[in-house]
Amino acid sequence: MAGTQAKTARAEWGTRFGFLMAMIGAMVGAGNIWRFPYVAGNNGGGAFILAFLILLFVLAIPGLMAEVALGRYTGKGVIGAFREVVGRGGLVGFGVVVLLVNVALMSYYAPVIAWTLYYAIHSLLFSFTASGFEPVAFWDGFLANPVLTIGLHTVVMGSIAAILALGIRRGVERIVVYAVPALVLSLVIMTIRGLTLPGASEGIAFTFGVEWAYLTYSGTWIEALGQALFSTGLGWGIALTVGSYLREYDDVPLGGGVFTALGESSIGILAALAIFPIVFAVGVAPDAGANLAFISLVQVFPEIPFGGLVAVLFFVGFFLATFTSGLLITEVSVTTLEEETRFDRTQTVLGVCGLIWLLGIPSAYSAELLDYLDFVFGSWGLPLATLAIIGIIGWVLGPERLRLLAVNRNAGIHVGQWWDPVVKYVIPAVMLFIMGYFAYDEFGSIEMIGGMVVLLTFPIIGYAIMTVLEGRDRRTEPVDVPGGDD
Amino acid sequence: MMTSLSLSVLGMLGFTLLAFWGVAGWALVRTLGQERRKVEILAHQDRMDTYSPTALAELREWIEEHPDDPLADEARAQYNECVTVLRTTDMHFYDWSNEEIADLEPL
Repeated sequence: MAGTQAKTARAEWGTRFGFLMAMIGAMVGAGNIWRFPYVAGNNGGGAFILAFLILLFVLAIPGLMAEVALGRYTGKGVIGAFREVVGRGGLVGFGVVVLLVNVALMSYYAPVIAWTLYYAIHSLLFSFTASGFEPVAFWDGFLANPVLTIGLHTVVMGSIAAILALGIRRGVERIVVYAVPALVLSLVIMTIRGLTLPGASEGIAFTFGVEWAYLTYSGTWIEALGQALFSTGLGWGIALTVGSYLREYDDVPLGGGVFTALGESSIGILAALAIFPIVFAVGVAPDAGANLAFISLVQVFPEIPFGGLVAVLFFVGFFLATFTSGLLITEVSVTTLEEETRFDRTQTVLGVCGLIWLLGIPSAYSAELLDYLDFVFGSWGLPLATLAIIGIIGWVLGPERLRLLAVNRNAGIHVGQWWDPVVKYVIPAVMLFIMGYFAYDEFGSIEMIGGMVVLLTFPIIGYAIMTVLEGRDRRTEPVDVPGGDD
Repeated sequence: MMTSLSLSVLGMLGFTLLAFWGVAGWALVRTLGQERRKVEILAHQDRMDTYSPTALAELREWIEEHPDDPLADEARAQYNECVTVLRTTDMHFYDWSNEEIADLEPL
């Protein structure tokens, strides 16, 4: 606990609050701020929120409990955790798949962090409230300037490397315990400012007005499903990695499951309250994504009293949200490669961050490529990683075993037998459905072809790498948990 | 501003705040409170009970039903550790009665 010494050589979170903020910091990203409010408003408002809440409880919370518990049970990063479950051999390569997806994800997410950094800097310079400021020209000019986009991408990866090199407790934990509360505070102040503007009620009605008919539309549930799974980062290796640093007597299901899923979603709710009252009060059309953050909102700040200060709150908060996610996404690779190689932490951090920086240059240069990669990995790469992690828990280790040995051990809430079929059947089925749905929806498109390349090549690459590497070590061990727990 | 919102919007807003911020806040307060309790217990003694009565009963049932499972030995060790701690310490994290502890048998 907080006052006791670490019992192993492996790093551990210094405090319970540090672990919780690491989970929230990892999961709260751009999607909570620039996607959730608009998607909710466009899909029946309250009806969407209800569907989203149901899916959080049915899928995301049980899934996060499983992933954190696997990390805690094995006490290892992604590849080590897979080896503990499937034994030595090529199947450990599915852990490599998770790693490859994480590196790919971070390669195009780092340039997005760079965008938020650029706007945070300009908010501090009060550029957006200066006379003659043109939001569209400013945004287009930024994207067309590779010195700026690649330069800031370099600054972002350099900053992440500097923090990660300090370690889990002195680096990651020290940042997230301040960054996450600062993000919440900035959105709360922005909400108060927005709600006191004339016409703000339309913004509230946009997100929280209830159109029950939307609950009967498949599109509402698919959007809610995507939000519930992608927003919580389920199965990307992040929760597994963060969970692997838990201390001996730490709880998994209450903090790693319930608090993480609802806490990170709460920030999306807060973002809706912070953004749309202001947007509607000024009379700008609601939007999502980069257009919302970097054009629509920038247009409204000059129109409201104290708009320059509100812009500072929003963009600094937005930067913190994306930056803490970037830290933990990168930590997934750092943790497992540090364990699997002879390199020390600093060398591993430099290697991983250097590789991500290099792979991220094309996305920093071209926003179109970034959008393409985002779609391909969001639709197929990330569900593949989730399938790999939840698959080995559900079908190799067995959910009942994990629940009895890790989830309910030192737990703050008791998890019953209902959890086992959710992890074994429901979550994998949903992941297969998502991949199939997007393949059907995008059939024949370049995005679908890219997705199929990922689905085929990543497992083959992972399997081949681990077959070769594990084959070198003749100390082969039998798999001791075959066939799940049926 | 709020007066111009319909009852259904206000109701949904209230429900959403309760369901998300309310439950997340409850989870945060509860888990940090449990952390303080664990720190108190570990300041008083070296070890602490690791399972609630319900969870330990489930673990025992599973071990008895799967004696040859590859993880049965590990499960037995965790079960026996919890039983030993419950019998040898006087501060417990979970809500164990003396009668329940007296009825426990190592496996």
